Amino acid sequence: MTGRDVRGWRRHAATAFIVAWLSVQIVVPLVQKFEIPTFRYRWARFGWAMYSRLVPRYEVRLFRVRGGGEAEPIPNIERYVRGYRSPEPMPMLALYVSEDEVHDRFSRLVSYLAREQRDGYTYVARIRWTDYPPAGAPTVVEFRAGPAG
Amino acid sequence: MPGPRASAGGEADAGTDRGAGWFSLVPAYRLATLRVCLAVATLAFHVPKFNGFIDRYVGSAFHVPPALPLIPPLTQGGGAVLMILNYVAASGLLLGLGPRLCAWFLAATGFYVIALDPEHYAHNAQFHLTLLALIGCSSDRVSLWRLIRAKRDSGDTCPAWPEHLVRIQLSIVFFYAALDKVFNPHWSVSGTLLATLGARDHAFGLAWLQSVNLAVIRAFPGAISVLTTALELFLAVAFLVRPLWRTGVVVAFAFVVYLEFLLRPGVFAWDTLAALFVFVSTADQGWRIVYDPQSRACRWSGTILARLDWLRRLRWVPADDAVRVGHAGDEECMRLHLVSPHGRAYHGFNAFRMLPIILPGPFFVVMVLARFGGGFLGSRGYGPWYDLPFLVLAGWLLLWVPGVARFVARLVYAAAARAMVRTG
Repeated sequence: MTGRDVRGWRRHAATAFIVAWLSVQIVVPLVQKFEIPTFRYRWARFGWAMYSRLVPRYEVRLFRVRGGGEAEPIPNIERYVRGYRSPEPMPMLALYVSEDEVHDRFSRLVSYLAREQRDGYTYVARIRWTDYPPAGAPTVVEFRAGPAG
Repeated sequence: MPGPRASAGGEADAGTDRGAGWFSLVPAYRLATLRVCLAVATLAFHVPKFNGFIDRYVGSAFHVPPALPLIPPLTQGGGAVLMILNYVAASGLLLGLGPRLCAWFLAATGFYVIALDPEHYAHNAQFHLTLLALIGCSSDRVSLWRLIRAKRDSGDTCPAWPEHLVRIQLSIVFFYAALDKVFNPHWSVSGTLLATLGARDHAFGLAWLQSVNLAVIRAFPGAISVLTTALELFLAVAFLVRPLWRTGVVVAFAFVVYLEFLLRPGVFAWDTLAALFVFVSTADQGWRIVYDPQSRACRWSGTILARLDWLRRLRWVPADDAVRVGHAGDEECMRLHLVSPHGRAYHGFNAFRMLPIILPGPFFVVMVLARFGGGFLGSRGYGPWYDLPFLVLAGWLLLWVPGVARFVARLVYAAAARAMVRTG
């Protein structure tokens, strides 16, 4: 017999844990799913919204240019983000991230590349939404970061 | 051959823990079985996946900011340590060595990795980590060795509240999944999302079933959408209402197996199946196995079955006693002979095909290994190994064909006989 009845402070601690756990498990998906204060439905992570979204697909092309010149590959792009390629387009899925998060990621990436390289090139991320693009968003979005930042 | 086991003891109402309060003691084997099954899924899928995230993260110089500013970034050395510790913790969880610490460690590092980059998030990962955290609350203290030991008692107990939390968690997940479908314009009564669903390519046979399934979905997306929502709502209720548990388990099993094999495979199905263990009977020794203490074959098969009886549902009855009480004839002691808690007898082939139902833990482990081992081989171009778990499941279901055919034939015969009597 290895079980022990729950008594005393253990019982109080377990009760507190149960209440906290259930509160979090009930409240978090609710506020994720329904925007406060409008209570409008939205898709969000941590909302148990499985198979709930037409998953947007996009292609992103990373390259650099100098002046009005041709697009050139970004050297050692693998060092910055493992698995990325340049300058060919990379097909991607926005499986669990929003359009804003995709844009923010690549905007930050080109700024980071320009800051790190300091070679006079302008670093470009060109995103083309292919399937189920976010409502109201342009099909092609481009982020640039040059020597001036 | 295992001898008669000790009873569960006075404190726990073993096997019949109906209406167990949150802090009363229940048999520990449900949570121990759930822990082992989760650990196998963790070792086969979760740890390789999350270690892949860690490896990619520390191998990249650029990162997006973490979800919260207080979350420290992961360094190269820290990442390597974390990857090793993930395997150590998953192994500890499987073996039952410091299982609570291991489960909480895996859950905490998993949420940390998710917080590092939103692209690490997945619903199935969140569900797996949630279950790991809940199993970290269990004080079952039944190690893997103790679980599979042939000679053991069935008196291990633990507090009931982690089991209750797992049941409520399942209900919450299905409730919110249903709620999402009610408000989501792509589901609701339109079924837009269903009409766009693709399925993973499978080999002949399963592929045919999938194409039929997709054709039906695309023909009636609105109806299937409403049906899915209703089904998820039913499951959310069934997991909370004790009289509906049995139906809920059967419906949930059919639903997630359907998702896994006919739509898109994922870890969610396997974690849900593992969590269903908290609804099954345990330590009741309600299933009796008739054995001949003099027979070597009987002793051998008994030892194997005892090791697979993680939920402590089997009781061994010597053949002489069984003959005396009318459950077996002399010649039947050579074959597998099972008697259900309701007194229904199963012999030989019929008994054999019942085993995965009575011993679901080992069957689940076999299926998980087939699923993720098959996926591993398939992803490396060794052939359609993705279908391995389907073949195992189909093989088991095929064992039921003769019985089902006999049952249908009996119904048809009875209906025909009634019709003939009526028409004179």
